[in-house]
Amino acid sequence: MKLSLSWICDYVDIPKDIDLKLLAYTLTMDTVEVEGMEELARRFDDMVVGKIIEVLPHPNADKLRICRVDIGDDEMKDIVCGGINLTPGMNVAVAKPGAMVRWHGEGEPVVIKNAKLRGVESYGMICASDEIGLGDLFPAEEAEILDLSAFDALPGTPLAKALDMEDFIFEIDNKSMTNRPDLWGHYGIAREIAALYELPLKPIEPIVPDVTSDFTIDIDDPDRCPRYIGVKMTGVGVKPAPYTMKNRIWKVGMRPINALVDITNYVMLATGNPTHAFDSDLIKGHITVRRAADGETIKLLNDKDLSLCSDDLVIADDEEAVALAGVMGGAKDSILDTTQNVILEVANFESTGIRRTALRYDNRTEASSRYEKAIDPERCDQALSMALSLFKEQYPDMTVVGYCDKYVKKLEPTQIDVSLDWLARRLGKQLGNDDIQYKLESLGFAIAIDGDNMHVTSPTWRSTGDIAIIDDIMEEVARMYGYDNFEATPFTTAFDHAVNQRDKDLAYRIKEYLALRCGMQEVYTYPWMKDDCVHAILPDTEGVLKLSTPPAPDESFVRSTLLPNLAEAVGKNERYFNEFKIFEEAEVFFDRNYTNLYDETEFLPEQRRHLAGAFASDGKDITMLFREAKGVLEYMARYTHMEPLTLKKGDDKPYWADHVVWLNIFKGDEKIGDFGLLNKKAAMACGIKKINAVLFELDMTALVPYTSRTNKFTHLAEYPMIEYDISMLLDEDAKWEDIKKAALGKQKPGALLKAADFVDEYRGKQIPAGKKSVTIRLTIGSDEKTLTSAEIEKCADRVMRTLTHTMGAELRKQ
Amino acid sequence: MSESNKESMRDKITAVLEDAKNAVMSAANENDLQNIKASFIGKKGAVSRLMKEIPNLDMEMRKEAGRMLNRVKTEVTAIMEDKQMELKLKASEVSDDFDYTLPGIMPASGGLHPITQMCYDLNDAFRSMGFEIFEEDEITSELYAFDKLNFPPNHPARESMDTYWLEGHDSGSTAEKLCLRPHLTGASVRYMQTHKPPYRFVYPGRVYRNETTDAHHERAFFQYEALIVDKDITFTSGKVMISAILNRVFGKEVPVRMRSGFFPFVEPGFEIDMGCQVCGGKGCSVCKHVGWIEVMPGGTPHPNVLRAAGLDPAEYTGFYVNIGLDRLVMMRYGVDDVRLFHSADLRFLSQFK
Repeated sequence: MKLSLSWICDYVDIPKDIDLKLLAYTLTMDTVEVEGMEELARRFDDMVVGKIIEVLPHPNADKLRICRVDIGDDEMKDIVCGGINLTPGMNVAVAKPGAMVRWHGEGEPVVIKNAKLRGVESYGMICASDEIGLGDLFPAEEAEILDLSAFDALPGTPLAKALDMEDFIFEIDNKSMTNRPDLWGHYGIAREIAALYELPLKPIEPIVPDVTSDFTIDIDDPDRCPRYIGVKMTGVGVKPAPYTMKNRIWKVGMRPINALVDITNYVMLATGNPTHAFDSDLIKGHITVRRAADGETIKLLNDKDLSLCSDDLVIADDEEAVALAGVMGGAKDSILDTTQNVILEVANFESTGIRRTALRYDNRTEASSRYEKAIDPERCDQALSMALSLFKEQYPDMTVVGYCDKYVKKLEPTQIDVSLDWLARRLGKQLGNDDIQYKLESLGFAIAIDGDNMHVTSPTWRSTGDIAIIDDIMEEVARMYGYDNFEATPFTTAFDHAVNQRDKDLAYRIKEYLALRCGMQEVYTYPWMKDDCVHAILPDTEGVLKLSTPPAPDESFVRSTLLPNLAEAVGKNERYFNEFKIFEEAEVFFDRNYTNLYDETEFLPEQRRHLAGAFASDGKDITMLFREAKGVLEYMARYTHMEPLTLKKGDDKPYWADHVVWLNIFKGDEKIGDFGLLNKKAAMACGIKKINAVLFELDMTALVPYTSRTNKFTHLAEYPMIEYDISMLLDEDAKWEDIKKAALGKQKPGALLKAADFVDEYRGKQIPAGKKSVTIRLTIGSDEKTLTSAEIEKCADRVMRTLTHTMGAELRKQ
Repeated sequence: MSESNKESMRDKITAVLEDAKNAVMSAANENDLQNIKASFIGKKGAVSRLMKEIPNLDMEMRKEAGRMLNRVKTEVTAIMEDKQMELKLKASEVSDDFDYTLPGIMPASGGLHPITQMCYDLNDAFRSMGFEIFEEDEITSELYAFDKLNFPPNHPARESMDTYWLEGHDSGSTAEKLCLRPHLTGASVRYMQTHKPPYRFVYPGRVYRNETTDAHHERAFFQYEALIVDKDITFTSGKVMISAILNRVFGKEVPVRMRSGFFPFVEPGFEIDMGCQVCGGKGCSVCKHVGWIEVMPGGTPHPNVLRAAGLDPAEYTGFYVNIGLDRLVMMRYGVDDVRLFHSADLRFLSQFK
């Protein structure tokens, strides 16, 4: 919302020497956020009023003229101009060199310089209204120059002064005052400034029409329309509003239209209470405020045709609805050029109904956005008084011929009892009772203190929900005292236990393990999934939740697995990287196992935290890629201190996995995840073109952190340990797990063979068909002595014999 | 043989020793040493040449010259060995034209998401003050997202245009209407319901809004909320929490101000601003020339929220702060497009190791 400082000054005498930055700061800190403050005159820097003395033809151009202009300097200036309405004696706006204008009202502002136009020197520019941003205030035809002859200003007068633009405009953040309906107008802000600066607020002189007539209004729904004032006036034809009114309306961002409409807007901008004028000659019979019938139609002022429902409130004459209450007038009875007589509406409507209607028809207006904040019905008096005095001013011959004030649901001011002791405790500060009383009274509250009890009566303009509980009173006191004036006090809450959250620590360790030890990059993706990726990863969508208004038509599934989005992320990154490793930890959702843990009526679906990773490489051997990924999972438990995981082929191959390269992830006997190479079909569906991706996903909720570190100290070997490599030929389908098991045998205590580790595997020319070469590294040593080479050889030979015996291994080389 | 001949032999031998010492001293490498060895104690070296002169000396002098020459040989051999060791220790494994400008090799190249990092930073700060970390599931009901937080029944945020409701769960009572949570505050009620006061906890997490995205608006973003509840906490205690957060994030004291703000679940409510870190408060385009940047809302839990959590608002009070992590991370690194956070684009993420 925009506010004009000079308009505010109509209601409170703000000292001339006030620091406006401080005023904006004070309002921001204590009341509403001032987002910006503009010194309006700056827009008109280097612009003055000029008087055209002579209009001469241009020697080189038919459409241009040379104007000899008096701009208050010693000598006349020649200005080349293409305006169609240039006449000697006319007052015009002259932009001198240095001024900022928009060419033909379009594009970015440019700086005016002395220039030659078709061979003739021109001093600055004679402006059209839209070239200096005044198109709305002075509507003009194409190529029509702004004629300021009606303004009584001498040549050379700064344009800002001549046009009454020496003002400051505050821009208030609307969101910061949704709870303060009283502030939606200049008078409300003036009242707040008066309280903050301890200045007197000027009342709006009450005017009540003194007329007796049979003009009546019916209100069918008092809850939705607590009050409706109608004033029937004659002798109010359409004409332009005076410049002062247009100027103010324009300055705060609305477009002046004609005197009748401008008065209603002016009253709204001043008091915050919307008003409306009907052409009374077009109203048939008398006015009723009622609910619309289902299917009842109305054409609005903006030509929208609506089919209404019974939740909508309308203003109706004897025939039909003539306005959508609190939102917009109808086309039928709107102010036309022929209007002579009007009915002025000053009404109060209930907030939530107005909001529903405005939203239902996507038709929010200045009026509806004010009504939906909950305006108090008492404010109608102010709006009525101001409107009547403006009408009298503009239409001295106006006669009020009908008046009806239906106030069917009176507003009761909010009454609150506050304990002063409680107030002091919550504020953390003891303030004097007189001080509290003074500050609240300056805001319009009535205060009665009796011992510890302070009885507060809220002003009507704060009684529509804004002030409702004792905490609201505390806020009023605190903000009037100034939040900056309360020192930060450390909290002293004592706790009897140390915070020890092992599950949180485990998640933390796992992420750090993956990122820092395993070199994986954490990514975030959305909780919704693309249909293509879902169908690539899941055999069906049974048990997958959906959004009713998804971000995109093909992104309605809510994830029950992290893999679709992770696979999509692999596809996105393969354009830029040949090899990368990513992981994501996030919540997944299932349409099953609904539980009501927090409220017996609230059943929430099963939600678990999952962890998923992708190892992507273009070119790396699949075996290596697989082993790298497997290593990350195999060592995870050890490095993150949790109960171990095992990887083995269980009963169900993951739907998305290659038919050979996959394993399931187990914790004990429970399967908690899958691991494997993304198969070609799924990869393609997820947008992956060529890169190989090994994926894993596991259920974080199933992981169990150790309560403490559990690995035990092992004594350092006293005697040398020897590493002994053996290469052997084995059948191609021999599995390392079996080789290792056979090599280690039963592992009696004191055995010389300490370990058998994989070194490499080889298939190639020198290896016979159906065979592979496997190199295994034995660690051999004794706990009692240094072994001789004969003893070492003997141990190695025994291992080799066992392998030959159990697996058909054939010694290749040593 | 004359005395002068004797003297001349002694002088020659002494001179050879001196020369050898000097030569060894100035030897620059193994090669030099080999040459020195050859020219002094080799078969054709200076010592051998003098040895050959011995037969020409008288008997008395032959003995003395022989002893002297042997000593020279021993001494020169010894200093050569010393020098050889010295050279060996001084020598480099590589040639002198080694390129020390070659780039270093990067350690393991993974990293945590910048928002996770920020979240962990804040967790550390709050845990050091005895706060617990709480996690709420992301699907919640209108009951917890709005009713229990004192949102009026007609509040705009409840409408489908702002919140992601779930298909098949988008009608009925507010307990039956389920959505992706639009904010974190509902989690505070769940925590309070299931724990005993006083409370001191944080609950970070992702929240969702159904809106059009651009560089400053996202459908999914992270919030970090902290709540402390006890008897007789004053609203100014909130400033302590805020300072803890900002000092952690920016590594120094950051000016903070609290001003009036309105949110249904707090009373009084505040907008909390920090001094602009770009211009130091002087005013710049980032802070729209006011020197302050809005970083978080906060305030005292509304009595209705405390009641919803089963507490007596006459007895208990507290303070909430709610931080938009995305925004804080954007400020920390100068990121100018919030959509990058959920892009999973490694070109972006790999910058935050």
